[in-house]
Amino acid sequence: MTIELSRRGFCIGTALVGVQAMSSGAFARTEDGTVKLGLVAPMSGPNARYGAFSLRGAQMAVKEITAAGGIGGRKINILAGDSQGTPVEGVSATRRLIDQDQVDYIIGDVSSSVTLAMQPVAEDAGVLLLNAASSNPKITYKAGVGGFKWTYRNYPTDENRALIVLQYAAEKKGFTKYAVLSVDSDYGRAAIEFTKKYLPRFKSQILTEDYYKEGEVDFRSVLSKIRDSGAQAIIMYGNADSTPIVGRQMMEVGIAGKIPLIGNAEFNTEKTIKAAPKALEGAIEAAAWLPAYDSAKSKAFVEKFTAEFREAPNNHAYVHWETVHLLAKAIEQAQSIDREKVRAALSSIHYASAVGDVTFDDHNQARLPMILLEIENGKPAIKGAYSAEIDYPK
Amino acid sequence: MFYTIIEQVVNGIVSGSVYAIVAVGMTMIFGVLRAINFAHGEYYMLGTFGAWFAIEYFDLPYPVAIVIGVVATAVIAVVVGNIVMQRIVGAPAEAGVLATLGVALILQNTVILVFGGSYKFFSGGYIEPVTLFGFTLAEQRILIIIVGLIVFIGLELMVTYSRIGKAMRAVSQNIECCAVVGIDVRHVALWTFILGAGLAALSGVLTAPVNVSVYGGMGELITFKTLPIIIMGGLGNVRGTFVAAMILGIAESLVATYVGLQFRDTVGFATLMLVLMWRPHGLFSAQARF
Repeated sequence: MTIELSRRGFCIGTALVGVQAMSSGAFARTEDGTVKLGLVAPMSGPNARYGAFSLRGAQMAVKEITAAGGIGGRKINILAGDSQGTPVEGVSATRRLIDQDQVDYIIGDVSSSVTLAMQPVAEDAGVLLLNAASSNPKITYKAGVGGFKWTYRNYPTDENRALIVLQYAAEKKGFTKYAVLSVDSDYGRAAIEFTKKYLPRFKSQILTEDYYKEGEVDFRSVLSKIRDSGAQAIIMYGNADSTPIVGRQMMEVGIAGKIPLIGNAEFNTEKTIKAAPKALEGAIEAAAWLPAYDSAKSKAFVEKFTAEFREAPNNHAYVHWETVHLLAKAIEQAQSIDREKVRAALSSIHYASAVGDVTFDDHNQARLPMILLEIENGKPAIKGAYSAEIDYPK
Repeated sequence: MFYTIIEQVVNGIVSGSVYAIVAVGMTMIFGVLRAINFAHGEYYMLGTFGAWFAIEYFDLPYPVAIVIGVVATAVIAVVVGNIVMQRIVGAPAEAGVLATLGVALILQNTVILVFGGSYKFFSGGYIEPVTLFGFTLAEQRILIIIVGLIVFIGLELMVTYSRIGKAMRAVSQNIECCAVVGIDVRHVALWTFILGAGLAALSGVLTAPVNVSVYGGMGELITFKTLPIIIMGGLGNVRGTFVAAMILGIAESLVATYVGLQFRDTVGFATLMLVLMWRPHGLFSAQARF
């Protein structure tokens, strides 16, 4: 009985998939000139703040492009999909954008776990997936010559970041003993994996290793353990929303100001520093971008965003803003919204971003610098921009 | 080594106190309504939001915000109690599950709709660390432990001596007999529910300063942490709940230290499974009550 049922279900399912594949293949996408751009981001759930910033950044870019007359006269229409920060929801949102909304391009997601799950979906549909904010190196290990032809990433990876942070901590601060407290996700775990890859180079070691679940609120136990372990710094690749909680509890267990946080979890925003000023003093962070970055284009963006939304932009707002502009330039250079042509244009693009010139390597990974900063007297101080060419596993 | 263990036990007692205040409301509601209140974490969230709203929009001091958070939640509980919870009395178990899950979704999404899904920053409370017997704790945590104790002593006195407390015990033992001797079952159910929701809100407001972030989905985690506690404590058993909450708090704290933070949330569910296998009526009663 059950076998019969499931077989029937399977047949219907296969038929449906077939019809869907035929329909999307047989009928060309609507050619009314509008560029349909899907944006997958966590609009709800624990990372909803990232989603809100991403959407605002993208919308602002679209507004600017429209005000400047569109892309060769074409308007852009943004269709948002909510991934809730989970791979399952991210894949359904992607499917909906592709099958129902018939988008040609997708920007997404913020979370690496979600992006990794979206890649095969975009690849099967032949829809360009341009990632703007996930940093897990695997995403572009598997892209370009690595396999997925339709995945591109305009964001530096954790491998760059891990190396740059470790190098700065070892050479400038003289740290050799670390504790790990990262988020339990593809992002947090991979960043630590790459940190471990470079530990021997700096004769350093990890003394304790812990990963927290998203939404965790009690770090006291683990912070007391770190205090007693003799670690000189806490390597944290985590969620921005957890940082104030960790900071407050660092003050409680008495390690604030003694064991700094290093890595990346939005240590540099005003809100975070205000929540636990003593704990964040001396924190070292490598960021793809930050509002204080000194370049004319970046400053103009911050000013405009703040005027429009009455809130300073974060990193996600910036990267989505920049990536929409990058895509618009690729479409403009392709002189078409034909996906194949746009993809070719993207591969050979030279785009002047706010942090420097953007080009893509053969793994469809953008070559981008990272900005290193340290919290000094309650303010982020920029210590320079560093870049590293990625060594892809053969 | 010894010092570390003691410190982790203290940490466990702090989180145990938070669990206890939330769980005791849920277990009392179960006692009277025979329904697991899956929306219980939502009242915790509502309390926190009420206090956050008072601080953020009206600049009120934290003690006033505590009162506003709890009162606002109690008012919502009156509405939900009258419309939904009273009808669950005597209804089949699945009605309670569906109704409370529905209420949870409505409350959570209403808050997200009104305030947005993003994390809010809770700025009230007493977060300065103080040193007691060699341990440093935020003042707020000491407050949590003290309030937790007061709540439990108060509840014990209430169910033992007050009229409504005795009625609550009577209803949790036999609804039909209560109706026969003239106890207004629906009235008792409503008051138990309001009390439970108010306690959840109190717990939310008290923990907000140390948890810093306030967001619409924060109640879910609490509901799922509370569930194993009330089952371990024996559904409807106030004293059992208190001990079970402490056991879970301490066990979680030790696991986070000696096994790894990532295994912390498994403690509750692992204990839940063990309890369901060997002592499905809870750790503290000799036999099943219902």
